[in-house]
Amino acid sequence: MRLSVEWIKEFVPTEASSEELARTLTMAGLEVEETIESEIGPVLDITVTPNRGDCLSAIGVARELCAIYSSPFPTIPNGVIVQPKKADYEISVAIEDIDLCSRYVARLVTNVRSKPSPDWMQKRLIAAGMRPINGIVDVTNYVMLETGQPLHAFDYEKLHGGRIIVRRAHKGETIRTLDGVERVLTEEMLAICDADHPVAIAGVMGGEEAEMNDFTKIMLLESAHFHPISIRRTSKKLNLRTEASYRFERFVDPESVGKAADRACQLISECGLGDVTTVLSDEYPVKIAHNRIIFRPARANTMLGYNIPKPELTKALANLGFESLGEQEDHITYSVPSWRPDIQREIDIIEEAGRIIGYDRIPERLPVGVTTQGRDTPIGKLSAKIRTGIAAVGLQEIVTHSLLSPGKMENDYPDGQRIEIRSALSSDLSGLRRSLLPGLMDVADRNARRGHLPLAFFEIGKVFHRTDQGYEESLAVGGIMAGAVAPRSWVRDDKHSDADFYMAKGIVEVVSRLCSVPDLQFCVSDDVRFHPGRSANILLGGKRIGVVGELHPELRKLHSIREKICFFELDLERLIDAGTKKQVFVSLSAYPVMVRDIAPRVEESIPYQQVLSSVKEVMPEILEKIEVTDVFTGSQIGEEMKSLTLSLTFRSPDRTLTDAEVNEALEKIRANLIQRCNARFAG
Amino acid sequence: MRMDGLDLLIAEALKDIETAQNLTELNQIEIKYLGSKGSLQAQMRTIGTLPKEDRPKFGARVNSSKESISQRLSSKRTELEGKELEERLNKERIDITLPGRAFPIGRLHPLTLTVQRVKEALIGQGYEFVDGPELEEYAYNFEALNYPEDHPAFDEMMTFYVDDTRLLRTQTTALQGRVMEKRKPPFRMATTGRCFRYEAVDATHHHTFHQVDVFMVDEGISMADLKGTLKQFASAMFGGNVQVRFRPDFFPFVEPGVDYSIFWEGRWLELGGAGLIHPNILESYGIDTERYSGFAFGLGIERIHMIQNGVNDLRLYLENDLRFLKHF
Repeated sequence: MRLSVEWIKEFVPTEASSEELARTLTMAGLEVEETIESEIGPVLDITVTPNRGDCLSAIGVARELCAIYSSPFPTIPNGVIVQPKKADYEISVAIEDIDLCSRYVARLVTNVRSKPSPDWMQKRLIAAGMRPINGIVDVTNYVMLETGQPLHAFDYEKLHGGRIIVRRAHKGETIRTLDGVERVLTEEMLAICDADHPVAIAGVMGGEEAEMNDFTKIMLLESAHFHPISIRRTSKKLNLRTEASYRFERFVDPESVGKAADRACQLISECGLGDVTTVLSDEYPVKIAHNRIIFRPARANTMLGYNIPKPELTKALANLGFESLGEQEDHITYSVPSWRPDIQREIDIIEEAGRIIGYDRIPERLPVGVTTQGRDTPIGKLSAKIRTGIAAVGLQEIVTHSLLSPGKMENDYPDGQRIEIRSALSSDLSGLRRSLLPGLMDVADRNARRGHLPLAFFEIGKVFHRTDQGYEESLAVGGIMAGAVAPRSWVRDDKHSDADFYMAKGIVEVVSRLCSVPDLQFCVSDDVRFHPGRSANILLGGKRIGVVGELHPELRKLHSIREKICFFELDLERLIDAGTKKQVFVSLSAYPVMVRDIAPRVEESIPYQQVLSSVKEVMPEILEKIEVTDVFTGSQIGEEMKSLTLSLTFRSPDRTLTDAEVNEALEKIRANLIQRCNARFAG
Repeated sequence: MRMDGLDLLIAEALKDIETAQNLTELNQIEIKYLGSKGSLQAQMRTIGTLPKEDRPKFGARVNSSKESISQRLSSKRTELEGKELEERLNKERIDITLPGRAFPIGRLHPLTLTVQRVKEALIGQGYEFVDGPELEEYAYNFEALNYPEDHPAFDEMMTFYVDDTRLLRTQTTALQGRVMEKRKPPFRMATTGRCFRYEAVDATHHHTFHQVDVFMVDEGISMADLKGTLKQFASAMFGGNVQVRFRPDFFPFVEPGVDYSIFWEGRWLELGGAGLIHPNILESYGIDTERYSGFAFGLGIERIHMIQNGVNDLRLYLENDLRFLKHF
């Protein structure tokens, strides 16, 4: 809201500069965003919080300043000049729905003259960001800016039956509003009607039919109080926001309704825009009671955290218009001003006193007393560990947003349904991610296009699914890598190998070790986002908790990256559940290890997993560790054959092993490999 | 005559040792004088030609000569070995100014680093972290936080709705109700996480951003406790002894409601919203407001990092340009 300083000062006896006013208002809660220069001096652009509808006017702002400066309250100027001539017209106002309209004032102005408003008024309107239209419209806008009360002017002769009926619209009633739009009203909306049909949407916008024009002779001026929630709902439903609805939905003081109408009549008269008549109606069926609140000065001191003498508190409240209805030893009963519906209970009064006295006086103290142990969440701790682990192997952490448009990569996601945003404003933000892949892919692609390397990223973030059970939200960790992950080096023997399936799988294994979940299973995946021969579902206890693989070449084509793109994703919450088991410590063996290599040759189609379980099946107690140190294929060992080198570590917890017993174990292992895997051994 | 011969031999051997240039030469000298076919062995073999009474004496002389030669050899060997090692090491000199082997190293995202600092500061002040869902219920995001029905306060919270009751949380404060329905005071809680509001994206606005929210309830908690806590927290985050300033503001879930600024590097910087938890909220969870009160404050994770590092564009955080990420 913009108001010129000279206008505000009309109501506040102060010599303060515009900078001082801006600072004072800001520190009292009316934030001055900026001060703009205008023809009539500085103009303040004030942000009014949604609870302070009473400040949406020059008088409202002035009231705050007067409270701070301990000056008498500003009042709405009055002094209506009524033409002695009695008008030959009557107005009849009926409020049918008094729950939505507690007061309706109508005044009749005759001999309406179509002419512009005076220069001084136009300048104030322009400074406030409004366009001068004509005398009458400008006066209604001016009074709204001055008093906070929106007004509406009807062409009296266009009102059927000379009547105003305030009622809920009938089902299917329509009105063409001043913006030229035909609108269908519903039964929840309050309408201002003549004898036959709606002529305005109450508090929102007038209709074209009873609109004033250059030929209007008699004007009916409306000033009313409408129910804030009703106005807000109507304005939202019609998607029609106006200066009037903005103020009505923030509450307009019912006790100023008449004064604002009088003020408008005074200006109309003074500006020669018409003759104000004695014909008026003031329907005020429901008087809104002033809130009564008990205020304990001691409580104020407790809440604000320091001692404020009682007279200082009561003075601040009196300055704000709170009226004492009686004082007891430890409390005062206050009547709340009619323009402050936001003051509901004692704490609200404490805030009022506190802010007028000034928050700078609040001291700094630290809470004392027994309280909770400070700690991170279990998942927070685990995520921190995983982050550090993955970063240590060379992946850069990223954070991407969770909203995305449906796309190839998103559509191909195999699990559950996407959760859609209702009435999304743009397709880019139309749903929630089910996988971290699209976000990671975007970042990899963007950096690749900018020539930034390496392309190795990970993210820990929420993913969302709609399932038969409802909505699911879980924390996932995902990583993407393409091309060389290690930086280029001049050292010739540094391996400069490109990311592949095994790099992604290696990181999954790092994560599982960090979570103390050693027994993940990998099985062939049918996830269509990946290369069918180079992807795996990751299972934990038989349940799918993630995926690892090389991106399908068809998806890769959509991006600028030429190298193989590898990806993994894991459900962190399932991992943490599985990883919370306490590890039992087994005392360390004091005896030496014996390491033996075996190199079974098997058909290429036999997976390592099968070889591994054939070794484990024999399970000599002394076999401590199995490592695969080489996989070799080539014509030397036969077509469609591979040779695996397994390094087996033997150790006993209670004795030094002999060659003979290790050889015996090896023999058993070899025999089982021959039987289970049709393995052959050289020599 | 024989005596002189042995003396001469020793003198010759010692001279040879003295002038030896390297270990190979020294080894040859050793063989020449002390080897099984060496000069001293040859002298020993002549012992048979001597008169019987002279033989022991001659033998002793040859042996002591052997000893002094081998002593000399050994010290010369040590000397030459040292010299050769020195030469070898000198030859093995490398260019220590070339870069080391290139290990890949990843970094944490600046928002993660900021969350870590926030957690460290608050855990140290006794706050327990809890997580809440991003896909939140309307009831927790608004109703439990004392938002009046159809109030203009909603205008500041353009919300992504999924259906009539579910939305993407607009503020991490949504966790308050979830905590208070399970716990009795006193407690000190904190949460960090992602929030969503329908905003056009520019240098200072984003539809996705991150917040930290802190709240505590105990006996006699006042605005002074809030101010002191904010001062300590801000000092931990920004360093030094920062000043805190309150300005009245409105949030339905606090009363009094303020926004707070810190005086940092010569200017006032607005950080976030704060206040005493609204008694309507405490009462709705059965907390006696005559006995207990509490405060709450929140602020943006991005905002903290932007202030700390002089970053001027909010969009950089979710854009993930490697140059930006590697900077921190």
